[in-house]
Amino acid sequence: MDDKIPNVNVIETEEPMGTVHPAALEPYRLRLFVEDEIVQEAEITIGVNHRGVERIMEGLPVEKANALTEKICGICSNSHIWNSCRTGELALGIEIPERASYIRIIMEELERLHSHFLYLAHGCEVLSHETFSMRIFYLRETVMELLAMIGGNRVQYGCSVLGGVRPRCDLDDNRIERLKIGMDKVEKDLTDFIKRFTSDDILMSRITGIGIIPQKQALKLAVTGPSLRATGIAKDLRTEMKEYEPFDFNVVTQPDGDVKSNLMVRALESFESIKIIRQAIKNIPEGEVTITDYEMFNTDIVDSYIEVPRGILYHSYALEDGRVRHCIIRTPSMSNIGAMQYACIGDQITDAQLCIVQCDPCFTCTDRAIEIIRR
Amino acid sequence: MGVKSFSRARAIHLMLVYTGGCNGCDIEIVNSVLSPKFDAEQYKVFLTWNPREADILVVTGPVTTLNRKPLEKIYEAIPEPKLVVAAGSCALMGGVYKNIHGDIPSEEIEGPVDKIIPVDAKVPGCAVRPQDVLSGVISILPKLIKSK
Repeated sequence: MDDKIPNVNVIETEEPMGTVHPAALEPYRLRLFVEDEIVQEAEITIGVNHRGVERIMEGLPVEKANALTEKICGICSNSHIWNSCRTGELALGIEIPERASYIRIIMEELERLHSHFLYLAHGCEVLSHETFSMRIFYLRETVMELLAMIGGNRVQYGCSVLGGVRPRCDLDDNRIERLKIGMDKVEKDLTDFIKRFTSDDILMSRITGIGIIPQKQALKLAVTGPSLRATGIAKDLRTEMKEYEPFDFNVVTQPDGDVKSNLMVRALESFESIKIIRQAIKNIPEGEVTITDYEMFNTDIVDSYIEVPRGILYHSYALEDGRVRHCIIRTPSMSNIGAMQYACIGDQITDAQLCIVQCDPCFTCTDRAIEIIRR
Repeated sequence: MGVKSFSRARAIHLMLVYTGGCNGCDIEIVNSVLSPKFDAEQYKVFLTWNPREADILVVTGPVTTLNRKPLEKIYEAIPEPKLVVAAGSCALMGGVYKNIHGDIPSEEIEGPVDKIIPVDAKVPGCAVRPQDVLSGVISILPKLIKSK
């Protein structure tokens, strides 16, 4: 299994899909080279979604640029604004209050829950099992209501600002009580779902052994996030981040690297997120949530990596006169594209979409810096 | 009510096309059709990904340069009668991506959706709420059912 090397000489049929295709939710172009319905080589081309967010950010005041990073992705918007603020704080040497750090982690873990549920729902929809998909969408509504309660909006919450979190996102007793009830409900429903999901023989036969990414290849392709943990490597950046030090959680891994492992690693990781949220609610310190007495000065390039629902997110800033002089963003799907292409190889062409979905792609946020060469 | 309108009112298909937004509106629209909480299927509105089957086209995103042609082709592929719903502030006015620094227009963005194809209903919001999507889609259903 370690070397799924295609025999390029025998390829006779090319199957193009995209950029807008019924099977794909997001616009991207996929070329499959097929021999006897078995995919021999796959090629993903992105770039149709490029909007040039970095270019708009350059020259803006850093507070405005932070708010703009949220518009990069509608699924992991909180991760972007958190990492953007974190980069700015690292550059300017701002120490945020402890309560703000706890609220940021609660938001991030809620977002991880909703992203993982969306992944499970999307995976079940691609498997043409709409009942499971609807069930997970219903479960996700609980999380979305909690996010809307804290952030004020269902998708882009604008929780973090430079120096803490927005005062309107502060948690009072009523909100904490609703969070507790919501976490109990999510845990119960998810346990029921996983029990039902794993006991479905038809579904299990459809996802076991499909789209295998071997451990060696995953390391070679620099896969990040849950897709890496699904191949059996216990690597999670949360264990190294200082924000997550007060919390006790396990790194979930699955052995096989196929679609089943990918689905299960995300489902089981949701329980760890629930655990972190419960700890955060229990131990949340009192005090201010934001500080405003920081100074602006010119900085060199500062970068920051965090673990987001889909992998590792990278932001880097350089500031000048309180404005952004330089900005680079790399989203987790960028490093997982190689795995998506590799997973397709050796499987039936009907499973190709499933193999791509198993790596949790988000092409709208992946279309970042593109160098256009005009001749 | 003729036979045509009668049958049409019972199987309305909604197609969603992404033209380079941030995915937030798209998830909310899929959510409003598939999720049991909002459930557009109670109004006989079903989600499809096939333009030949669709009656209503829901467009999100600020139409990037490379997405303009696919959008026009999809609009042409939908049989008459067809209606278009533009959802989200990006589709209505270009959103935050429209201009770089004040009023310098961005080269990547081809502008709001109504510059490219005719739009029948506009749903504001960043990101749109599923309730708004439902009311936007349902408000244009009589137009679709009554048309010859």
